[in-house]
Amino acid sequence: MSARSGTGQHATGVDAVLEARGVRKVFRTFERAPGLRGLIKNFVARDHVDIAALDGVDLRVERGESVGLIGANGAGKTTLVKILAGIVPASSGEARLLGRDSFDLRDAEKRRLALVMGQKSQLWWDLPPIDSFRLLKEIYGVGDVDFSERLGRFSSMLEVEDRLKIQLRQLSLGQRMKMEIIGAFLHSPEVVFLDEPTIGLDLISRETIRRFLIGLAEDRAATFVLTSHDLEDIEETCRRIVVLDQGKVAFDGGLTDLSRRVTGKRAVEVHVHPGARIDEGALAAGLSGLGAEVSGRSAGSLTVLVSADRLAALVPRLFSLLDVKDLSVERQPLEHLIREIYRRGVDGPAGGPAGGPG
Amino acid sequence: MSAAAARGPLLLLRMVAYEFRKRIQFRAGFVVREVLNGTVEPLVMLFVYTALYGSAASLAEGAAEGEEVALGGWTYREIIQYVAGLVVVRKLVFHNRALDLAPEIFEGRVTKYLVMPFRFFVLLQGRFLQFTLMQLAVATLAWCIGFALAPEVWLVPVSAAATLQAVTLVLMGSYCCFLVFFILNAMAFWLDVIWSLLVMAWFVIGFTGGALVPVSQMPEGMYEVLSYGFPYWMITAPIELLMGRLGAGDFLHGAALVGGQLLALDLLRRWVWRRGLARYVGAGM
Repeated sequence: MSARSGTGQHATGVDAVLEARGVRKVFRTFERAPGLRGLIKNFVARDHVDIAALDGVDLRVERGESVGLIGANGAGKTTLVKILAGIVPASSGEARLLGRDSFDLRDAEKRRLALVMGQKSQLWWDLPPIDSFRLLKEIYGVGDVDFSERLGRFSSMLEVEDRLKIQLRQLSLGQRMKMEIIGAFLHSPEVVFLDEPTIGLDLISRETIRRFLIGLAEDRAATFVLTSHDLEDIEETCRRIVVLDQGKVAFDGGLTDLSRRVTGKRAVEVHVHPGARIDEGALAAGLSGLGAEVSGRSAGSLTVLVSADRLAALVPRLFSLLDVKDLSVERQPLEHLIREIYRRGVDGPAGGPAGGPG
Repeated sequence: MSAAAARGPLLLLRMVAYEFRKRIQFRAGFVVREVLNGTVEPLVMLFVYTALYGSAASLAEGAAEGEEVALGGWTYREIIQYVAGLVVVRKLVFHNRALDLAPEIFEGRVTKYLVMPFRFFVLLQGRFLQFTLMQLAVATLAWCIGFALAPEVWLVPVSAAATLQAVTLVLMGSYCCFLVFFILNAMAFWLDVIWSLLVMAWFVIGFTGGALVPVSQMPEGMYEVLSYGFPYWMITAPIELLMGRLGAGDFLHGAALVGGQLLALDLLRRWVWRRGLARYVGAGM
């Protein structure tokens, strides 16, 4: 199955919570020619351009699945979340949430939905979180007993019991995000969209939030859609991965499959001594023998991609080929990963089986 | 009443309480925004009218002894009462700065409300209700202070019925203002110059309502035209009701006119909001 048509496996399911069929979203913007002439021309008549943020996305998410949506900046993942959650309409195609047109949700569906935005506060900035939670209690019609029980449990799990009465604006970023997450789960939603929930957080806060999400995902039959630039967020909380690239689904499959196919690569960043001469021929020959390749260069450094299992062989070879000053090893950067997935999807079958776990 | 039906009013009350807490959390801000608001223009009017009537009196030296000079049907004493009435009435009028919806749309902050099971407009109605309740208290206080300081010139309503009629018209007009400012704020779905539009609208509403000159003092043709608009029935007419210059028949006529405009504005508000949402991009989510 092609990576770009990876949702076919779900087509026969009957309990779809989220569905996107050929969803396309085009934003119209205008281009301005440079200089004074361009300025005057733009004032009189503008040249518009259409930018396709999503280009025929098909996706089907079953009840209880936890789906990680990843992609580089501008890949379309936030736009897809906005469309599925009913915030913006699709230009064409069909998006459904809980069986209803996403852009025409009634209160009954909205009551079963939650959205956490890492870059925008859901709670009221001027109020202590406890007041916002009480307001949310009224909005969602949560009973007194459920409200007290959930608030106590969630604030304890996220370790913020002693911060509930402090004005939101006076809390740290991590504490604010924990409050956002509590607010999103107070009404026990069935579908939860989490858009970059750990962005800008320290390791401890990230870990606490991940533990919280994993706990909830295991406890309940909620459906999660998580977007993040942080692969660890996705790996720990999601069992199904959807990769978007340039508005298209480049991969849709299980985490295990994704890991096996692409996350097994490592990026070795090599810093060389200034002025050191690099024998390009010898370098290319030495790397190709290990299946490695130079994926990027900058002044005084180069990045080499290699399979994780060949890393041990590569490092001494780099020392023999280059005048190495320093060296660091990281997972393959997300952008490289996505490019690779997309290239494979376009060039031939490599996307792996769609869907799966959940 | 079912739980679902009871939730609407309860939610509105929660919104009022929330808005109230927001307004009073900074004392200096509260005094400047809520108490001093609307006091400068009447003071300026007082100086201008004192000068105008002084000049007019010196030009009319031939007038009969003891006869008061009237400009456009208003004597100086009546104008002073009008200005006193203006101090109180303008406090009740929903002003252009009380709705910060445009930045919320522009920066994508309304997104959170769009996924909640309630009408976003309820939140704004809560703000209007909070504003009105708070300003009713402030206006009453302002009237009492004015009456205590200058009882001989201060505007004293001719009757309780006139007071009730005047307050009704002001509040209906204030709701029209609220709708106008909502519609202008919602233009942020298309434009990024909302602040300028709001300032212009505030001035136009104030002028056509009589915040600078009583509409009935304006030239006849202008008065005829402006007396069809809700601003006139929100500022000049209520003060004239309090002074006894207008009666119950005028109140009913005005209430019908303003009621019609209120409904039309509400329909326009719904249409603009729906059209705007279809264009919403939720900037930055």
